[in-house]
Amino acid sequence: MTQGISTEDFIRQLAASPVPRPMHPALVMLGLLGPSMVALALYFWAYGLRPGLAEALMLPVVTAKLVLPMIVAALAFWLALVSARPGARPAMRWLILPLAIGSVLFAARAAQTAPGGLVSGMLGQTAAACLMSISAMSLGPTAAGILALRRGATTRPGMTGLLLGLASGAVVTAGYALHCPEDSPLFYVIWYGMAIFISGCIGAIAGRIWLRW
Amino acid sequence: MTAFANMSFSGAWQHRRLWHRVAAGCAAWQEAGLDSAEEWEDLLARANDGDGAAFARFLRLVSPTLRAIIRARGANLPRDQQEDILQEVLLAIHLKRQTWMRGSPVRPWLYAVTRYKVIDAFRRRGSSIHLPLDDFIEILPDEATGAPLAARDADRMLGMIDSRSASLVRAVKLDGETPEAAGRHLGLNAVAARVALHRAMKRLGQIAERMQR
Repeated sequence: MTQGISTEDFIRQLAASPVPRPMHPALVMLGLLGPSMVALALYFWAYGLRPGLAEALMLPVVTAKLVLPMIVAALAFWLALVSARPGARPAMRWLILPLAIGSVLFAARAAQTAPGGLVSGMLGQTAAACLMSISAMSLGPTAAGILALRRGATTRPGMTGLLLGLASGAVVTAGYALHCPEDSPLFYVIWYGMAIFISGCIGAIAGRIWLRW
Repeated sequence: MTAFANMSFSGAWQHRRLWHRVAAGCAAWQEAGLDSAEEWEDLLARANDGDGAAFARFLRLVSPTLRAIIRARGANLPRDQQEDILQEVLLAIHLKRQTWMRGSPVRPWLYAVTRYKVIDAFRRRGSSIHLPLDDFIEILPDEATGAPLAARDADRMLGMIDSRSASLVRAVKLDGETPEAAGRHLGLNAVAARVALHRAMKRLGQIAERMQR
């Protein structure tokens, strides 16, 4: 079976081919932010911002609703980019940082809450809306981000997809916090965390399909 | 290596075990080639700037090592199939060469790309595909010398695949054209023609197997 061309000829052909286009981190970021902004703008237009937004943002515990997802988004985005290059080792341990901050906020509030109020505080009023809204709005940025990451070459498509999904889920969550009226860490650490995790899982599945090369 | 030669290539755990051999090969490679490392980085950097000659030289320099890695994993594959896998790896190096970060060592990158593509190649080939191809090709030249049964079989089998692939096989296997020339008539570039021919032969091999039963 000598159907193939010789490797030497093949090398010559490859060398004569144009240099492939590189992966642009800015394009991945645009893929994440663009669809997120559009989805959030439509969401705010349809459902509005929370009442008393400006005053609420003065409280650190409410600001944390935005800042914590932003930290997750920045870390996950950076790690996704690192993981898109063969041979690079993304420092996944950094993801513990937002998890630890969230846990501290949760524990601090739990300590102040009477035992009877713990479960009702965790359940809140809008958990289902939170999960569904964030998961749905993160689909667009996840898809666009993965499309931009196809120029990369991850050797672990599932993990890169997971990181990208976490990033897009976290971006959307930070925006969703401007709508969401629930300010207890008992609520938002659990449900925001859950929503970002769901988005990450969707990203992992998408990555396993579309980030292979 | 002989212990591995008799194994089939299906099953994730086998992949893992086989990979240790490859890793050992890579370690030897790293010890042997420390002097040339800087040159490799230099060559790839120039290649990514559009210097085709540098890229050809880079591919030629890494080929022996890649060949050794592939042989370590697939000692029971025929030589030309090992060479096919090498060309798949070289193609991947070309397509993804921009994901190497200029200024970083090229070996971890190259190692990761090779690992990914070699595992991919063996997984796709599975355990049964590398046998029937040659058997079938042996039949085809008989047509010229007038072995009617073989010719009829060949015609029948070519009728069972799509006409484009059939004419590609006919041109290369029966009329002795090169894959490049045959592909050009069909509007395929050299790489695409090779891939199409490979797939067609694979399908014909499966058909031949079915017909013998």
